[in-house]
Amino acid sequence: MDLETLLSYEWGIMTPEFIILGVATALSLMDLFMPKSQSRKILGWVGFAGVLAALVSLLGLIGHGPESILLDTFRLDSFAKAFKLLLLIGSAMVLLIATGYEPNEGLEEFRGEFFYLFMAALLGAMIMSSSGDLITLFVGLELLSISSYILAGMRKRNLHSNESAMKYVINGSIATAITLFGMSYVYGLTGTTNLKEMAGFLTSVYNEQHIYLLGLAFFMIVVGLSFKLAAAPFHMWAPDVYQGAPTPVTAFLSVVSKTAGFIIMIRILFSIFANAPSGDAQGLPMILALQDYVAFLAGATMIIGNLIALRQRNIKRLFAYSSIAQAGYLLVVIASMSLFMFDTLWFYLGAYLFMNLGAFAIIQHVTHKSGSEDISQFAGLYRRAPFLAIAMAIFLLSLAGIPGTAGFIGKLNIFMGALVPSEGHYVLVSIMIATTVVSYFYYFGVMVQMFFRPAGDTGKVKIPAALTAVIGISLAATILFGVAPNIAFDFLQGNFNQFTDFFQ
Amino acid sequence: MMENAWIIPLFPLLSFLFLILFGKRLKEASAYIGILFTLASLVYSILVLFDRFSAPTFKAEGVWLTIGDVQLTAGFEVNQLNALMLVIVSLVSFLVHTYSKGYMQGDDRFPVFYAYLGLFTFAMLGLVISPNLLQTYFFWELVGLGSFLLIGFYFYKEEAKAAAKKAFIMTRIGDVGLLIGMILLFWQAGSFEYDEIFAAVEAGAISSTMITLTAILIFVGAVGKSGQFPLHTWLPDAMEGPTPVSALIHAATMVAAGVYLVAALFPLFTASETALMTVAVIGAFTAIFAASIGLVQKDIKRVLAYSTVSQLGYMMLALGSAGYVAGVFHLMTHAFFKALLFLAAGSVIHAVHTQNIEHMGGLWKKLRVTGPLFLIGTLAISGVPLFSGFFSKDEILIAAWAHGNTVLFWLAVIAAFFTAFYMFRLFFMVFAGEARTDMKNVHESPSVMTLPMVVLGVLAVVAGYVNTPWFGTFLGDWLVEDNHALGHGHIEGPAWIMIVATAVSLLGIFLAWLMYGKRSLARDWLTSRMPLSYNVLYNKYYIDEFYSLTVVNGAKFISSFLRFLEVFLVEGLVKSVTGITSSLGRLGSKFQNGQIQTYGTVAFVGLAILVVIYAFTGGYLK
Repeated sequence: MDLETLLSYEWGIMTPEFIILGVATALSLMDLFMPKSQSRKILGWVGFAGVLAALVSLLGLIGHGPESILLDTFRLDSFAKAFKLLLLIGSAMVLLIATGYEPNEGLEEFRGEFFYLFMAALLGAMIMSSSGDLITLFVGLELLSISSYILAGMRKRNLHSNESAMKYVINGSIATAITLFGMSYVYGLTGTTNLKEMAGFLTSVYNEQHIYLLGLAFFMIVVGLSFKLAAAPFHMWAPDVYQGAPTPVTAFLSVVSKTAGFIIMIRILFSIFANAPSGDAQGLPMILALQDYVAFLAGATMIIGNLIALRQRNIKRLFAYSSIAQAGYLLVVIASMSLFMFDTLWFYLGAYLFMNLGAFAIIQHVTHKSGSEDISQFAGLYRRAPFLAIAMAIFLLSLAGIPGTAGFIGKLNIFMGALVPSEGHYVLVSIMIATTVVSYFYYFGVMVQMFFRPAGDTGKVKIPAALTAVIGISLAATILFGVAPNIAFDFLQGNFNQFTDFFQ
Repeated sequence: MMENAWIIPLFPLLSFLFLILFGKRLKEASAYIGILFTLASLVYSILVLFDRFSAPTFKAEGVWLTIGDVQLTAGFEVNQLNALMLVIVSLVSFLVHTYSKGYMQGDDRFPVFYAYLGLFTFAMLGLVISPNLLQTYFFWELVGLGSFLLIGFYFYKEEAKAAAKKAFIMTRIGDVGLLIGMILLFWQAGSFEYDEIFAAVEAGAISSTMITLTAILIFVGAVGKSGQFPLHTWLPDAMEGPTPVSALIHAATMVAAGVYLVAALFPLFTASETALMTVAVIGAFTAIFAASIGLVQKDIKRVLAYSTVSQLGYMMLALGSAGYVAGVFHLMTHAFFKALLFLAAGSVIHAVHTQNIEHMGGLWKKLRVTGPLFLIGTLAISGVPLFSGFFSKDEILIAAWAHGNTVLFWLAVIAAFFTAFYMFRLFFMVFAGEARTDMKNVHESPSVMTLPMVVLGVLAVVAGYVNTPWFGTFLGDWLVEDNHALGHGHIEGPAWIMIVATAVSLLGIFLAWLMYGKRSLARDWLTSRMPLSYNVLYNKYYIDEFYSLTVVNGAKFISSFLRFLEVFLVEGLVKSVTGITSSLGRLGSKFQNGQIQTYGTVAFVGLAILVVIYAFTGGYLK
């Protein structure tokens, strides 16, 4: 590739990525040259500013038509734009939570690392959302994963944190190996790593053996990627890691990293397998022929997450299982493959972002104050801090899908999507309804603590401004999108044209 | 007025928000805020009701959400049923707000109580003006939340906490049915709008099996909310909440929401004979089942709770017998006399600080206002002629007879007998005779509590006259006006039904008097004239014995049999579901042993299972 072609690319469409990269570099240099005694908190604010700048530049690109540079390794289509928006908003809020994080054992000296590793992870996620090539997708995935492994072990002198990082890295490697193995089959069959070329090539595969191999590749990729989603069968790391990692990292893993997992899943599955024949008589595309397997995983994930959550006493483990369950609901969207699948997924991930991050901001505050993560720490919160208790109650109601909250609209969309196709997915919907009912038990368990138990400690609670901001924004968004969801859907339809350019 | 009816639910919402924010500073002055805002709702509701007498139904809505090419709407509607419900709900809520000022005095969470009352009233008023199922469902859940918070108001009591949780979960079980039915209806009719659903039903666009299925699923939701068998168990437990809450939520409004839902969807139910039959059978069974349990309860509020369950069963029976007017009419009269009974019971509890009727007695002389008012309520619920309950119960019996449900009709007659008996047993044990335990400082409640009861007392007497076979069926004619799907305003029935109904209620009262009123007389007589006529005494005793052998033991047997059903069958079912769920959870967490090898193994096994299924099915499940 000569210089001229290189210069002819429209680099402008990568502005958000460049900003994040620049900020990550700047943060690492600042950390290096800043005197040891100085607080690293300022780095957090710089990072926050960087994410906001990236967000602004992304909003500037929204009107931009679909564009692809660097031999299709970087694409800017509606899908990329819409989901990057979620990643950036989520990251900005996690950064706010992180600046309000004051662990009991010294994190101070490593705090700088925390912020630029966080930026690197975000960059990986963004690359994934806008990639049209298996190689860059994989690089993005690894950039995200490796940064997250270190983030999980950030509290270096805390045994739980060490254990968490260790488990995360080992499980992650297994998952990566499986994914990569699956990808290698696809590469072997098509001889290219470019998703579009693969899709074109696969339309004309008629050899049954090849189709069978492609099916195996499908399973390996799905199972491997389910690690990032924290979905069955690769969900078991989540509770241990969520519990041990510092709370902002847990928030990051449960929201941003999960969103990234869904992004890469959609990219790969719908680019490669939507056009491949399944070899049956009706000429179904492979992805439709195999959707029942995804449904199976979705059902298993919902059941496992919700049932085991019933027995948790540690609030972070509880939220780990809750996040597994939520991944199950989101998998229902993929399994039902309705016409407005992207809209549904986007809305639910957005709603989940706000309700979960809001809840984590409160969890961080409550658990830090008492030094324990048992749910009894929430006892009598309503008396000590009515605002926190009411906000938490609304987040929990939204996670449980009670009407009036964004979570309800999200679930409603999922139901509609699953029932509208001619052969509705009744079984899946029934499992979802039943497990949702189960989820009321543990969400309400926390509410009972907050409202109906006497407070153990009656000290006044002072909330840092950054956390107040996160809680306030999440609260407003959870209620706003629950009462007037059309705001979000109008925005989606007005700007992304039903995601039709995904397959172009 | 009607075009601004949306403002009615907003008053209590404002009260809620205001009290949540400033309640702590206002302390007991919070009551005035709550009372004023609900008074505004009440005045507005009455104006809307009078407006609706002369003008046609008003409906306004706008697009709320677009999914794909489906549009969901939100808005409000004022039809006859809605206008009537608005007045009932806001009136009872206003009276309960007033009453609570006396009853809750001194509670250190006084402002919170008023805030919750506001939230509940908002939800309930919002529920009754919703023009579509989705919006109804939204408020339906919110009402449940309000009830949950208020039952658990005395959260330091273990029982209250458990009751709040039980109420929430039991009604949620019903709600799942409602949700599924609602989604199925949407899928079939393409809309959540009541009007469009009815249009689709009438046009035959929905298959008859589907109509039956969705109607029954929606009825499951109503069963949960209205405490019908087998989901009734939460309602008696809910009596752990403060008594004004029991009057508002668990007598007059929320529990009637299930009946309201069936009434609002009446054209759907009439399209399916099976669905109607289900409603009627569940209703009649619940009526007699709960009444028989009420015969042996000792807690004043629990007797009233079982009687509520039983009366709601009557309303369901009416609706299931195509007696739309009878059901709605009884809903209205019951709201008044049952709220009265609960408030009066609250006044009794306020005076004697116990709920056990074995410890009461002789309160008639001490509670000069509460006693007569309680008697009015008892007469009304027992169906004594000229009181409101008499007219509405008569309508129900006629409807059941006219619809050909002979068995159910007789069940309802027996239940009416039980009702009269246990209500007067309650009355005699509380007010007649002499105090069975030492009671000091028994005094009448302040006027802020007695005045709301007087208002309800008047209504419990006169509310029946809006729809009588003698002076015209004004309410019935108005309710079904312009809507042939709802049936006739008045169903003609044989005159003997009224006589039978009167006879059984008087018989019940007489029996109760013999056993509970008379027995205490006999005790007086025994102590004063001990040496005289042992024979007469023996005979009296024999009669009592005879009655207790036949009637009480019979009833006890039925009730213990039904209790057995409840404990072993219903609770067993519920327990086994929760047991299985939690043991699966335990099993799952055992797997989660912290061993990273296990985690990897599980992932590989999962992959292997998928691949094996794939291999066996030749790759294709379809």
